[in-house]
Amino acid sequence: MGNAPGGAARGRPGGRDLAKALPWIAPALALILGVVLFPAGVMFFNSTRDISQSGVDKGSVGFDNYVEVFSFPYFWPIFLRTIVWVVVVVVFTVLISLGIAQILNKAFPGRRIVRLVVIIPWAASVVMTTMVVYYGLEPYFGVINKFLVDVGLIDTPEGYGWTRNPTTAFVWSIVIAIFVSLPFTTYTILAGLATVPSDTIEAAKMDGASPARTYFTVVLPQLRGALSVAVLINIINVFNSLPILKVMTGSIPGYDADTIMTMIFKYIQNQHKVDVASALSVVAFLIVIVIVAVYVKVVKPTREV
Amino acid sequence: MTVTETRAMLSVDAERSPGGRDRGPARKRRYTEDQVPLGRVLLRMLAGLVVLAIFILPYTIMFFGSVKTKAQIRSVDPTYFPTEWHWENYVNMWSTPETPLPQNLISTIVISVFATLLVLLVALPAAYYTARFRFPGRMVFLFLVIVTQMLQPAVLTSGLFRQFATLGLIDTWAAMIFINAAFNLSFAVWIMHSFFAGIPKEVDEAAQIDGAGRLTVLFRINLPLVWPGIVTAIVFTFVACWNEFAASLVILSTAGNQPLSVALTKFVGQYETSWQYVFGVSIVAIVPVVILFMLIEKRLVGGLTAGSVK
Amino acid sequence: MKKSHRFGAIALAAAATLTLASCGFGGGSSGGDASGKTTLNLLVPSYSDNTQGLWEDVISGFEKANPDIKVELEVQSWDNLESVIATKIQGGEAPDIYNGGPFAGFAADELLYPAKDVVSSDTYSDFQDAFLANAEVDGTAYALPLIASARALFVNNALLEQAGVAAPPTTWDELLDAATKVSALGGGVAGYGMPLGSEEAQAEAAVWLWGGGGSFGDASKITVDDPANLPGAEQIKKMIDAGATQADPGSTNRSPLMDIFVQGKIGMQVGLPPTVGQIEEGNPDLDYSIVPIPTKDGSAFTLGVMDQLMAFKNDDSKKDAITKFFDYYYSADVYVPWVQTEGFLPVTKSGAEALSGEEALKPFLDVLPDAQFYPSTNPKWSATDGAFKSLFGQIQTKSAQDVLTEIQAQADAG
Repeated sequence: MGNAPGGAARGRPGGRDLAKALPWIAPALALILGVVLFPAGVMFFNSTRDISQSGVDKGSVGFDNYVEVFSFPYFWPIFLRTIVWVVVVVVFTVLISLGIAQILNKAFPGRRIVRLVVIIPWAASVVMTTMVVYYGLEPYFGVINKFLVDVGLIDTPEGYGWTRNPTTAFVWSIVIAIFVSLPFTTYTILAGLATVPSDTIEAAKMDGASPARTYFTVVLPQLRGALSVAVLINIINVFNSLPILKVMTGSIPGYDADTIMTMIFKYIQNQHKVDVASALSVVAFLIVIVIVAVYVKVVKPTREV
Repeated sequence: MTVTETRAMLSVDAERSPGGRDRGPARKRRYTEDQVPLGRVLLRMLAGLVVLAIFILPYTIMFFGSVKTKAQIRSVDPTYFPTEWHWENYVNMWSTPETPLPQNLISTIVISVFATLLVLLVALPAAYYTARFRFPGRMVFLFLVIVTQMLQPAVLTSGLFRQFATLGLIDTWAAMIFINAAFNLSFAVWIMHSFFAGIPKEVDEAAQIDGAGRLTVLFRINLPLVWPGIVTAIVFTFVACWNEFAASLVILSTAGNQPLSVALTKFVGQYETSWQYVFGVSIVAIVPVVILFMLIEKRLVGGLTAGSVK
Repeated sequence: MKKSHRFGAIALAAAATLTLASCGFGGGSSGGDASGKTTLNLLVPSYSDNTQGLWEDVISGFEKANPDIKVELEVQSWDNLESVIATKIQGGEAPDIYNGGPFAGFAADELLYPAKDVVSSDTYSDFQDAFLANAEVDGTAYALPLIASARALFVNNALLEQAGVAAPPTTWDELLDAATKVSALGGGVAGYGMPLGSEEAQAEAAVWLWGGGGSFGDASKITVDDPANLPGAEQIKKMIDAGATQADPGSTNRSPLMDIFVQGKIGMQVGLPPTVGQIEEGNPDLDYSIVPIPTKDGSAFTLGVMDQLMAFKNDDSKKDAITKFFDYYYSADVYVPWVQTEGFLPVTKSGAEALSGEEALKPFLDVLPDAQFYPSTNPKWSATDGAFKSLFGQIQTKSAQDVLTEIQAQADAG
């Protein structure tokens, strides 16, 4: 952050460039900082305070809230589960999206309808998509359970409690998280495919490259820009995702299906500890910053062509 | 259908602009330069059908739920298809005692539309400039922008509430427009940035030699080329605003000001939930987004064709 | 050309609405508006699909009688209620009147008016003493009783008969026996519906732990990890191990489980007054009876739960308006239909008198004298409640002692 706007007018070439850039980037900066800075500050501030259950600030406690976060016996399992959650969801999302984008990128009758349907999980709220799957998976009421009973995969007549056991509930949550991340990722890839010059592909074909080889050596490198940003956005969104796990694992006691996000939620909702929740949020924030920094460093999504 | 499509594609191909910068014209059907064998088309249709089935399944359950009665939804002997179709749910939900749904819909539309416009207005120049020009602090800017996305909404709401209470904007749409715009700005900047960055600089340079100003270059030359990216950013922002919940819940307290996402929770009672309305409202909430998408879908993947053929 | 025109019109309309919105709803809970009216903010949870309408009726009647007072209603689902109120308090915008459960924390932070300060002495003396006592911290009531409920065992007569159980159980042994027999009927039928999932784990826990002679503590001390609570906890495990309950009791929520009972797939389950209405609506043909909750030795006991109204000290100029509102609300003509429609038990003497003949409420009014309440006057109760919700279901897999210890630790830390 060495180049504060104040240094802009000092006449160094860098400063002049920054001054020229300001009219272009200042509105964005103003909007973001104007809205986000204060609540973010409150979050950091609250993480060092003692806040009563009803929300009254009782004074500073230094880093006690952080101590509580890290001394919580389930913290590290929850941390690891969060990493698994992010990695598995993002990797599968990207792989499946690449496949779907290939299908949607080819001409066939009815393609427009398929493209429209693919948008639905994006358009629908994540909470509702999750609720519907939860409902389908419920014992007694759910049609997914009914189907599994009807085809003989489950032998208890009321179905299996998918959402009642930490492991199965977590796995289903992953499936839903992938499902709702597919539309955006697929469309970003499709948009990326739209910018792949066709003559490059033709050239590759004329050289006798197989379709697979063409895909990996010509198409995929061209998708890099779009894909790397899509992955970045997915990492952040999946890391911060709360509603899916909240609905799917909400009735399960203990901490065997929690991620950092659901833990923050439990601190707020069940324990009424906004202070500790803020501390854990700060920790989560630092974790995701590290992840993103590493990602940006390695993948360089802002690289210019 | 296939024949027509292929022919249309060929004609577009033939019109490909001279000069080698034809990033657009044929790209979406580049694997179909010749007549596509029927077998392959059927295979594609089959693949498309599988994708369609998977994506539509949860919403079919949702839809069937929306035309059942409360009792049928919670039936311990579920049926795959509704046994009676209670279409009146779609009429009744607009006038339930729980929430003024027409106002909730208007509220959602106003907030989403204006927040999206605001995002577009401020994100586009920033994305363009950061992709096109190097300046000190460029990476800091981009990183700072995305860092705001990494904060936990669940914890930010209390600060947001305090801030907008001080500004006297609690329970106003304006507050939610600013909040939504601010929290979706960064992804919009990054998405558009990546697409601008994909356009070779020589395009700009050539135009500037012709005496075009920077804004002209942006709007006349770059914009048409990055339409898919812009549309992706628009859809992304709009959808995020459309479904925003955490901040709306605390900022908007009057029932009529609240968006659909908050209105939905009103059907959840202490011991009973009107699931038929929860599902019905969810279906209704999806429709406008799908319509918006239908209108711009061509732009999303076919924008370049349209642009260059004109 | 046309396009831009149309957009202009939309933008103009929207801008106009925005201005209107910010004028009309701007000030939040700031004292009063230009016309000199006092504005009261009322934050309430949704009990049923009647709640919003019932409050709107109360408010319109009240505003007609008091034209100088305006009441702004905000209804939230129970899921969101507590995070909304916490956010408002942190933002310095507490509602003037709040309807909720735990109140001792607010009282400890000196946010609440003593009940006596915000109701007339007539209204105050109309509250039943037992309920008022449950709103007292150090001898002063800080909340006004709103509604009460008592629990009772709902029994599916047909299933018990089919399983060869002659009479509804009154002790744990009989309950275990009856439930095991009903479960053995098969076909997805469960003997006893045991909801230990997060929704209301503290209630089912109380039913068992207190029924075995235990308690959660009192106003000064939370005693979950107490030998007196072990028999009940062990009995829960016995029920589960014997297969007398539905599958996965540790993570089953109350509401969906009650739906299953209503449809005749569960032999017995603990319910409360609104359950009667649910059966009426969902399956009026159900052959059921309502009996007292079985306990270890068959002694009479029920779990009583009381929700309350609280008045926040925001601005002393509003005290009179709040008092007027409460006096209006608790008048029998307003209060009785309200309680009746929501299907709960009344907390006022006049209300109890008016509803004493109510057939559906009788089984609950009968057990009410034996009701024990949560230690809701303990400032740690809210944390204890949360600990039960998020931990108690583990009793399905962990040892009873471990679960009680863990809950006690989390409650003490709150």
